[in-house]
Order: sequence, then structure tokens, then C-alpha cells
Amino acid sequence: MKDFAYVSAPDVATAVRAITEPGAKFLGGGTNLVDLMRQNVERPDTVVDITRLPLDRVEELPDGRIRIGAMMRNSALAAHRLIRTRYPMLAQALLAGASGQLRNMATVGGNVLQRTRCPYFVDLAARCNKREPGSGCDAIGGFNRNAAIFGASESCVATHPSDMCVALAALDATIELESVRGVRRLPLVGFHALPGDAPQHETAIAADELITAIELPDLPVAARSRYRKVRDRASYAFALVSVAAALEVRDGVVTEARLALGGVASRPWRAHAAERALMGAPATEESFRRAADAELAGAVAQSQNAFKIELARRAVTATLRQLHLPGGAA
Amino acid sequence: MSIATGQVQGVGQSLLRPDGTLKVTGEFAYSSDLWLDGMLWGATLRSPHPSAWIRSIDVGPALAMPGVFAVLTHQDVPGVKFYGLEHKDQPVLAIDQVRYQGEPVALVAADHPETARRAADAIVVGYELREAVTDPRQAAFDPACPQVNPHGNVVRHQPVRVGDRFTADVVVTAEYEVGMQDQAFLGPESGLAVPAEDGGVDLYVATQWLHVDQDQVAPCLGLPKEKVRLTLAGVGGAFGAREDLSMQIHASMLALRTGKPIKIVYGREESFFGHVHRHPAWMRYEHGATADGMLVYVRAEIVLDGGAYTSSSPAVVGNAASLGVGPYEVDNVWIDAYGTYTNNPPCGAMRGFGAVQACFAYESQMDRLAEACGLSPVEIRIRNAVSQGSRLATGQVVDTPAPLAGMLRELAAMPLPGPGSTDLRALPGGVAQTTHGEGVRRGIGYGVGIKNICFSEGFDDYSTARVRVELLGGEPHVLVHTAAAEVGQGLIMVKSQIARTELGIDRVTIVPADTTVGSAGSSSASRQSYVTGGAVKAACEAVRERLDKLRAGGASLAEVLAAGPVEETREYRHRPTFPMDPVTGQGDSHTQLALCVHRAVVDVDVELGLVKVVELAAVQDVGRIMNPLALEGQIHGGTAQGLGLALMEEIQVRDGKVLNPSFTDYLIPTILDMPPMRLSILENPDPHAPYGLRGAGEPPTLSSTPAIAAAVRNATGLALARVPIRPDDIALAGSALAG
Amino acid sequence: MADIRMRVNGSIEKLDVEPRVSLLDALREHLGLTGTKKGCDQGACGACTVLADGERIVSCLALAVQYADRDITTIEGVTSPLQRSFVRHDGFQCGYCTSGQICSAVGMLTEHAAGAPSAVTGDLATMEIELTAEEIRERMSGNLCRCGAYNGIVAAIEEGIR
Repeated sequence: MKDFAYVSAPDVATAVRAITEPGAKFLGGGTNLVDLMRQNVERPDTVVDITRLPLDRVEELPDGRIRIGAMMRNSALAAHRLIRTRYPMLAQALLAGASGQLRNMATVGGNVLQRTRCPYFVDLAARCNKREPGSGCDAIGGFNRNAAIFGASESCVATHPSDMCVALAALDATIELESVRGVRRLPLVGFHALPGDAPQHETAIAADELITAIELPDLPVAARSRYRKVRDRASYAFALVSVAAALEVRDGVVTEARLALGGVASRPWRAHAAERALMGAPATEESFRRAADAELAGAVAQSQNAFKIELARRAVTATLRQLHLPGGAA
Repeated sequence: MSIATGQVQGVGQSLLRPDGTLKVTGEFAYSSDLWLDGMLWGATLRSPHPSAWIRSIDVGPALAMPGVFAVLTHQDVPGVKFYGLEHKDQPVLAIDQVRYQGEPVALVAADHPETARRAADAIVVGYELREAVTDPRQAAFDPACPQVNPHGNVVRHQPVRVGDRFTADVVVTAEYEVGMQDQAFLGPESGLAVPAEDGGVDLYVATQWLHVDQDQVAPCLGLPKEKVRLTLAGVGGAFGAREDLSMQIHASMLALRTGKPIKIVYGREESFFGHVHRHPAWMRYEHGATADGMLVYVRAEIVLDGGAYTSSSPAVVGNAASLGVGPYEVDNVWIDAYGTYTNNPPCGAMRGFGAVQACFAYESQMDRLAEACGLSPVEIRIRNAVSQGSRLATGQVVDTPAPLAGMLRELAAMPLPGPGSTDLRALPGGVAQTTHGEGVRRGIGYGVGIKNICFSEGFDDYSTARVRVELLGGEPHVLVHTAAAEVGQGLIMVKSQIARTELGIDRVTIVPADTTVGSAGSSSASRQSYVTGGAVKAACEAVRERLDKLRAGGASLAEVLAAGPVEETREYRHRPTFPMDPVTGQGDSHTQLALCVHRAVVDVDVELGLVKVVELAAVQDVGRIMNPLALEGQIHGGTAQGLGLALMEEIQVRDGKVLNPSFTDYLIPTILDMPPMRLSILENPDPHAPYGLRGAGEPPTLSSTPAIAAAVRNATGLALARVPIRPDDIALAGSALAG
Repeated sequence: MADIRMRVNGSIEKLDVEPRVSLLDALREHLGLTGTKKGCDQGACGACTVLADGERIVSCLALAVQYADRDITTIEGVTSPLQRSFVRHDGFQCGYCTSGQICSAVGMLTEHAAGAPSAVTGDLATMEIELTAEEIRERMSGNLCRCGAYNGIVAAIEEGIR
């Protein structure tokens, strides 16, 4: 690991000032950044530790929205009563990720900003446009079993590994960013970029900005929601495909649907096409399948991951079917 | 499980691990915990290429770094420049070419591990890339394929030829594949080399066989064996991966060069390159049977990819050939087993050792045959099962109890776990992932395995034990000294139980294993309870005989011992084995054969390809239970590794390069993947073995994999001819997108 | 170099470490507490699990400087009936993962007592979650054991909570 300077920020003002130094990088729980630093993929000159910032609470705002401090640990958020009861898909997504130990360390803000798990990204001997712009992509035509099926480009086929963000995308969460220049809010959907010809640009965050909070809208349908993850072992593994879904059905007709997919793109994939197909449709297996088909019509496989298209189709269908069953929500 | 307390804890009782308290308090010293003031840290520069000429090595930039004490290349190897278990064909450090990704090229000693690592990275190696040979069948059978090693691309070809009737009413044919599995012990390779005043070296290392390390290290250092002394450090798991050398010669070279103690500890990624793996296998099997399911013939072609160097490939090939039809009676056998050289990672010993791969194929074939004959999987196995007196394909007669049919009947009669659970938490993928059970199908599968215990094919396989009885604090006390490696299997309990049983003295100390006593052979091939157990028993008997003579006049034990300790050293050998005929494969190549049978019950979400193993049941004949609790642990552990091979574990190699050298990407079973087990343990003694015992650690690794694969097939109706079976193999099979 | 203080197993330790030194290496190499093991150094095995203010974390991905003034408990500082249960139920063979298993189990039981759910918890709304074998397995799935002593570990923890 390269040598670096360490600064612990006691408050947000100090943190956003410290990050303006060239080569500075925020350090949250460290579960991703420290690993990447050890592998020399990340090489910051200064690390600004933000884990002591007082941003570790869940608050219910007067208008019913929920504000989650960005330094909230993944485990604490998953265990929070408001999240468990009003947004079960979010609690499930958090609990489906990593391990108990890692969830105790990982912060909500860090989870949003985690880097891809594409094997070539961390292999310094391999070509990777994300790590080294312009060097090429060894995943294309290489080991790409877990590559993207949506939004990939000729530069990059990597996926975003977060479970939490899939739920946040389905919930239309908002990200609050702060810098010395001020505060701004961005929708989580669209916050993560598609690779295009510049896969090194992964999110809409500016180099000097700090994620201070995530806000969830007051969303009654979210109480009938579920997160479902398909992976190679029962626990402690990244998703091949995951689905976050919320469904409201009245008189046998879908009146509201929220759907996002994980493990399929460089961003948590909000399934707008599927949602449109579901709205007003009868809540039947046929409709669920048609919605999945509508979303996956745009999917494109790499050499080894064609299975993910069919797997995603089935995961969407199965999750909607499950939600529609009596007691099927979490 | 009852635990005896407060009495002499001899053979057959669940003596608890004497090192257990140290292990649960963090005090037990593993090889990576060793520390000496003034020691330096070694690091290894490895080839990034699977095949290349080395045109130049510039160590200058590394030597110039502050804190660096030595940088060594092949030119600095003091003695013989090659080592190896069976053939000395592996360079200590690459000379003019590298044959696999990760091959060691240069060494650094520095005052800090980070400095050593950075210095190793600063060494400039001029490589000229060569075409990598990565297809084992092409390597073996295509004469135009480049040669990986000077002596051809076939390590060993072992045929087995019996009978001449290769037609039958019912014939099933299929090809099978087994992926490359890693031993994935939790404690990576590590050790400490300390330069000695006599010009030799004292090496503290986690290994499976101290003396075979000594035999390989000394010549490479240009030292006589007695100047290379090894002591076993705490071993964080082994499973075959510590049978070949890793850092032993390297640390010793750096210690001798710098005159300082050298510690080398591999990281997890380096560990994936620092030891051999289980041979991936391609197998084509043809089984012929009568309409009522009696085997007429078996033909098989087995290709095991040994990678760049020999390691133990010849013996692995021998096992695949000699055990290639499994524990079944069949009069006509035509097997060709090959081990190949390629530029893939070197493969060698892993729990099950060549028998695992064949077992997956022949058991899959038995299920196909059962279906073709309209028989149950259990029935077809019973009809063809070996028993005492059976003749194996090698001509060897099974001359000890082998009650396979009875074991299968007992297994099939065991209660099944409850019907498909309606508890979401118990379904594949857990509550957050599963369906409400509508897409979940229950499957049941059986697997049978036969494993040779101890080294085979004429190897002079023995162990040595020194037993001493003396007075300590006025009480008789036994010291048991062997060089046998305790790697977690519980041998130290078995040794002390034997001493208690044979001598009737309950104060027993197991002396740390080192090379000041004779060789114990390897902690592999499920052999230590048998061979080192036999040596301890023999030494105890000799001591007892002397004590009996000394006490003939009626003296008490304490009175006799007051005159001085009584000590005896004994070597113990099992019955001799014989080579396999190179043309026919005939020969009594094994000394002991052990059977294990598994039943797997799985729930499969066929829609999403998720498998939950609900229960694994096993029946194993161990001859004599030495320690019930430790034995149960061995069966569970072997089973878990078989489960990993069945469902998730595979080193992904592409163009000779490993793509998943981490625990993030190479998945081994978690505690959630491992189901409860139901065990029945039989004790039909082998009269040739001490206490009648049978080695127990490996057989369950064989049979659990095919049982789980069969259960998944039973649930899904899919052919599934390759392990590991992953979600895509299930969910996508039959769809247009499969493959 | 950074001068930090940390309470380790009850006593205040002064550490002079570079920022890049992990908590794991600080414990092992600076304080000589080698009971905490390095299995993968990237948070993928759990062998390095320690307790930070009572919460289980993987010390390999923690920078020591981040844990200045925190209260760290390693296996050397654990006194739990679980230790005896692990021996009695043979919840290990080689023992390399055991320090992490025990620290993890201690932290897991605290989490459970506080009502934290897991990925196999059926009713997320309840704070009274029965600690079934399946719950124990899911909650302990961040600690790999290659010897496969998993059923012994479950039995040891079940005994520990009775």
C-alpha cells in the first residue's frame, strides 16, 4: 500500500475543506477503499476519515420522508424500526449484502460509492478502462460471467455490486451532497453513470463533494416490497442478479409498481419499462412475465453471461408473483 | 455424543483436543505467528505469465532500496536447482523460462514486509512470451502441441485392462468434467528460517511431512540433511496443499545469505499461486450392463491436467486408474488414465487424491445405468457392490470387510428429513430470495466412494515413534515423540489415546513434531492414525515389555522408573503394496480400502437455479472408532469439501491465468451452505491395521459430491455432467440461452 | 507516523503506526496479539474478526488510526462460555478460524439480543427473533471454516445461549 496522510474530520465543514486537497479521498468504513488501496488500485495521497461525522441517524421528517445519515452503518440501518416496517426491501437488501462484520463497518454513503467487482478492475496486469482510461477492456471476450447486460459499452461491461442501491433506486431515494460550494440533492436513479466511453466516471458526485444523507420519500407501496438475490452461494456473495420490487394491487389490477435490478449494469437498474407494462395490468403471472420481457428486451449479453438475461427475467417474474401472494411481502 | 471425563481416556473415547484451549484463547502459535527479534521478511517475485522465456533479470533497483538485505535469483541457489515430490523437475527459482503464472522468479529479504514487497516489484524481468499450452487433451494427444517440459506432455499414462467382453444389452455413455478445486486452507503458507551456527538452518514451518521437506530442501541448499532441521509450527489446515514445498527453500536461502532469521508469509492471493490444486478432469465413461443392471464392462478415459510440473500427478493418475470403476464388481475393464503437463497451474494433492474425480464420473454413470435399467439408484449399487473376497479391476482381492451392500441398505433406511418445508427460511436462497415453494423441488441422490488408505504402488510407507516413560514429580509420565504433522485432524489425541491404552498411564505428553525423530510420513492419504498410530502402539508395546521384565520381581512402576526412564523407538510399516503393471494395471497396489456412502437431500428452486442442501446422511466403515468426536469432525469436514466441489468451488483459469485468486471470487461453503448431517459409523475391523482401524478423512470427500449432484439431477431432471453445478446450469438448462 | 491510543482488552495501549497499518497488523505486529488471524486480508473470510466497542468487525479492512480511542477486544480478551463450548463440540479442527468465530459469535449474540434481524428473519417487524439454527448459520456466515466444523460451531453456539 502506498504511503498517505491521514486526517480525521470531526465535522462536515472540516471534511469538505480537507477534501479539496489534491489526491484526497474520503474514507468511510473502509470495506472497499482499504481493500483497493492494498491492491494499489486506489492510491490517495490523503485519506480523510469521515466515520466520526455526526451523520449516523435515521430521522423521520415532518412531511413523512425519512432522512438517513450517510455515516449510518449498514447493519444499523437494516435494524432500524422505520426501515424494517416501512421499507422492508431496503432492510432485506442490506441484510443480503456482505457479512455481519462488514455490515457493521460499511457506511451508507460508502455503499453508494463502492467500486465494481469486475476481476480485471483489481488485476493490475490486465487492461481496464475504468482503472486506466484508454488501456482497453479485458472483460470483453474474457471472463465476463458476471458482467452487465444493460448499458454496457465497448469500453466497459462492469456492474455495480451494491444490493442497497437497488432498493434505493426502486424507492426513488435522493442523495444529498455537500461541498465548500454548498449543498445539492440528486435523485439516486441516474446518480450512477453508464460507462459510455469514459467508464472511469462512475457517478455524478464531484471530486470535492461528500454524501451527507440519503432521503426516502414517504411511499406507502414500499411496505409491500421485497428484495430477492440470486448468487452462487447461500450467503456472503455478490449478486448474479437481484430484484427490488414493490407492488400495489387493487381489485386484481396493478395500481403501483416499483422495480429495480441489481448485478446487471454499472448502475442499480430502475426497470421503468417493466413498471410501465405493469401499471393497469391484471396482477397475473402473464402480466408479470410480460413486464419482465419488456424490461429485458433491451438486454445485451457478453460472451459468458447470456444466462443473466433469462435469470433476470425469471427473478423479476418470481419476485412479483411472490409479492402478489397473500402475505408475500416481507 | 458422550464425552468421557475423569478416567483414563484411551482408544475409543472422545478425548477433547489437548490444543483446544490454546486455540479458543488465541494462544496457539501458527506458523504465521512466529517472531524473532531482528528477523527479516522475505517476499517472492512471481511470473505474471503462464509461459515465457526469461531474457534478463535486473535486481539492481530492488537492491538499491533502503531496508533491503538481499535479492536472490536462480544463480544464488546454493545446491541443486530443482526440487519435487516425485520428480525433481520444479526450479527453486525460474532459470531461463517460466511455465506457469505465479512461478517464483526472485526473492527479497527486507526489514519490513511492505519493503520486501515493494522491492520484489522493483525487480525488472525481461520476458519473451511463448504460446501457452492450456488444453490438457491437446497437450497429451496432439503431436504438434509444444512441449511444456523436456520429457513430453504426458506425466503418466496408466491403463487398466481386464477381460475382453465390451458389449452389453444396456450401454450408457457420457462425458464428465470436474473443475479445478483449491484446498483453500485458512492459514496461508508461512514459516521462519533461522540460520544456525553450524552453517545449517532451523526451519519452523506448517507442512504435512517434515522429512520429505528436509529431503528436498537440503540438496537445494547444498547442505547435508542433518544441517537442515525442521520443526512443525502450528498448521492452519492442509488438505494436500502443504505436501509440496512452498516457502521452505526460499526462506532458508535468504536466511543463509543474510545470516538473519527470515519470515515468509504468503497473502491469500499468493497462496492461490503458492500451492498445487486438485487436478481438473475430463472423463469419458461407458458402462455396459445386463438388462437387470449387472455390470458387464466399464470403459473409461480420464484426463487429469497436472499443469506445469509433476508434483504428485503420477500417484493421482494411479488412483484414478486403479479406483476408476469404483467399489463395484465388473469383469471387463478398459481404462486409460492420463496426467498431462500444461502451462496451467500445477496440480497435485488434495483430499481424495485422484479418487474424487473418478468417483464423480462413475457414480453419475451408475445413476444413468439405474435409470436405463429401471432400477433405483440404491438397488443398482447393491447389485454390483464389492464385498470381502471381491476382485477389483486391478486384480487385487478385497481381503478385509467391505460391507457396501449393507451400508447402502442402512443408508436408504435412514429417516428422511421432513417433506418440503413451508418455512420460507428453510428454502433455497432464504426468506428474502425464495419463492413460496411453488418452484421448489425436492431431490434425493446417492453416492458411493472407495479410497485407498496410506501410500500405494510399492511406496516404502512407514512411520516412526519414540515413546519414553519416566517419573515426573514422582508420577509415571509418557512422552510420545513423532514427526507426524498435526494439521487439525486430531492426531495428537489419537497418539495420546493409544499411549494411555497401551501403557495404562494417563499422564501423556505429545512432544512437538520435528526431524530429530525418524520420518512419520505424510499427514495425507488418511494414513496417520494407521501408520503413526501403529508406530506409537509398537513403541508402547516395546516399552511395556521392558517394564514388565523390570517389574518381574514385583517392583512397582515408580520403583522401576526411579532407576531411570525407559524409552523405545519403533518404525511401523503397513503391508507392502506393489506397482501397477504399466500395460494392464494389474497389481496389489493398495494396502487398505475404505468405503463411504452418502445420501443427499436437496431443495432446488428450479426457476432461479438455487440449491439448498437440506441434509447429508452418511454411512462409513472405519474399522475401529478411535475418537468419536474427532471422527465425526473428519466426516463432516470431508463432506463439506465435497459439497463445495459439487456446488460452487472452481479456480477459473483462462489462457493459463487464474482469474479468481481471492476468497471474494473463489467461493467455499459458508456455515449456511452446510446442512446438518446424519451419520452411521460401522466398525468392521481390518485385521492388518492397528486396532483394526481404517483411515477416515478422505472417503467422505469422494461420495458427497456425486450424491449432491445426483440429488440436484433428481430434483431437476437435468443431466448435469459437470461440477461445480451453478445457478445458471440449473435455471438455464434446456432454454435457448443455455451454454 | 501517527501516535494513537487505543483500549485493547481493557488496557490503554499507545501505538506509533503509519496510517496504512491495518488494525489487524497493529494488533499482531505492534502489540504482539497474534490470536487474531489473517486469512485473506480483504474481508472475505472473517478470521480477523475482533470487537470494536462490542461490535464485530473485520480488523483487516480497518486502519488502526481510524480506531484511535476505541475499545478493542481480541480473542485474548474474550472470556466467554462459548470458548468451552467450542472445545466440547469440536467446533474447529485446525483452529485458524476459531478466534474469529468466537469473537464473531460474541458480537452476533449482542446484535441478536438488540433485536437486529438477519437475511433469514421471516418477520422483519418483530424485535423478538428466535435464534434458530438457521438464524445462527446466516448470522455466522461471514466466518469461513475450511475444516468444515460448521455443525460443531452451531452446536457450540446453541449450547452457549442456553
